[in-house]
Amino acid sequence: MHTCPRCDSNETQILCESPVKGCWVMYACPVCTFTWRSTEPETITNPEMYNPRFKVNPSEMGKYQIHPAIAQRRS
Amino acid sequence: MAFKDLRSFLEKLETEGQLLRVTQRVNPEPDLGSAARAVNNLGDQAPALLFNNIHGYNNGRVALNVHGSWPNHALMMGLPKDTSVKEQFLEFARRWNNYPVPVERVDTAPFHANQVTENINLFDILPLFRLNREDSACFIDKACVISRDPDDPENFGKQNVGIYRIQVKGKDRLAIQPIPTHDIGIHLRKAEERGENLPVTIAIGNEPVITTIAGSPLTYEQSEYEMAGAIQGEPYKIVQSKHSNLDIPWGAEVVIEGEIIGGYREFEGPFGEFTGSYSDARHQPVIQVNAIYYRDNPIFEHLYLGMSPTEMDFITSINTCVPLYHQLKEAFPEVEAVNANFVQGLAAIISTKTRFGGFAKAVGMRAMTTPHGLGYCKLVILVDDFVDPFNLPQVMWALSTRVAPDKDLVVIPNASVLSLDPSSDPPGITHKLIIDATTPKSPEVRGEIFAPTVEPPRDTEKWETILKQLMNK
Repeated sequence: MHTCPRCDSNETQILCESPVKGCWVMYACPVCTFTWRSTEPETITNPEMYNPRFKVNPSEMGKYQIHPAIAQRRS
Repeated sequence: MAFKDLRSFLEKLETEGQLLRVTQRVNPEPDLGSAARAVNNLGDQAPALLFNNIHGYNNGRVALNVHGSWPNHALMMGLPKDTSVKEQFLEFARRWNNYPVPVERVDTAPFHANQVTENINLFDILPLFRLNREDSACFIDKACVISRDPDDPENFGKQNVGIYRIQVKGKDRLAIQPIPTHDIGIHLRKAEERGENLPVTIAIGNEPVITTIAGSPLTYEQSEYEMAGAIQGEPYKIVQSKHSNLDIPWGAEVVIEGEIIGGYREFEGPFGEFTGSYSDARHQPVIQVNAIYYRDNPIFEHLYLGMSPTEMDFITSINTCVPLYHQLKEAFPEVEAVNANFVQGLAAIISTKTRFGGFAKAVGMRAMTTPHGLGYCKLVILVDDFVDPFNLPQVMWALSTRVAPDKDLVVIPNASVLSLDPSSDPPGITHKLIIDATTPKSPEVRGEIFAPTVEPPRDTEKWETILKQLMNK
């Protein structure tokens, strides 16, 4: 669970644990903001089985649109 | 007849056989998303679902498909659950004209029972779950998001209540998608021009009318609360936030207070959208959560999105048809009804009387030039006044027997459409199509010779009543 299934970053963190202890753990990736639960299928949790169409390359984050555009401050 | 909160509406649904309680233990994924998809597959009479045994939660409750059928929509309006869609449309259109109904302000609300302002953890309070497989996170997609115009904060009408997709990024951190043309997009632009953050309040789990109106294309200065009052037939009850001047539906299950961080964007999405396609990831605004209020044992109300039919086709159905209908009527009193129930009105069917040849095509063009039509109404079908646009077999009859492909199709090139339409190219631009399926009229040459329509035998309506009475015995 230390590698982000979507962007393969190794900076993932535990987001939280289930209110009833021991049921599941939520993880979060600070690089691509993907989150996942330990009880989800491997197609979600395993970087090698994650849908290639939806993988994210951290070096290409600039290609995604900024939405909405940031408004200019009034002078 | 107004429902004071979600709980009282769920009680009504249960009394009417329109609520299914699921008491077996379910996993957040994939059970909850799968069940929501499944209930949408059961047809337009399906019940709402209420789950109370969610793995990892002591008292977690999730409500799905609350609006998601015609009986539920009718009950929301206080009508018998077997009210026809066209009757629901006409009644909604009648009440729409009662706008504005002044609100009722109160000081306290049930959600004041519990307050968290430190060590906030949304996952402790809401049984959040991933809806569709390629969604980037858990989302909140059926909440009323309230904001005010930073340049005119005392203007009640400019206060907006809208529904926007919200990605849960952390325990106290959210992302939101404010489309620039939506009211909250205007509020955010003004806040950023002023160099400020935009305060927002998110109300989850409301009685059904405000959610319906929050999904309606009102004008910028129209108040959702005063329109909800018109639709429910009595003043809408609101309570002011303790930390801002934002007004909150009194009956909300969970209230999240925070602010959109001005001048900042962060990676968000993709998310399975109402078009049935995933939208791409984008850099979008972030909400920092400052406080949460909630009722005891709160209910997390959520909405499934994907290929139609889904609950979205009910929650943005008649409330989309009615403003289109009123705007069309101003120009063309001949318009009988509008069915824009399909994917928020990307496709629409309009029934109208016609005065002469070519008339219906003009009505179709007018639909595309209404404020809502600018982003929707990609495909507009015109049918005669005696065709019920909500009765799709009748519409198919009109398409099958009235349309001459060489004469009745009008293509408007390079028109505007919402950018989420996966067929638009580039996103936001599309050709639009009018299909005139009305009976041809003079001076069209076909109008002189078109085979006469078979009218129902004289006592057909009388016999409908007799047969219904016999069936109910």
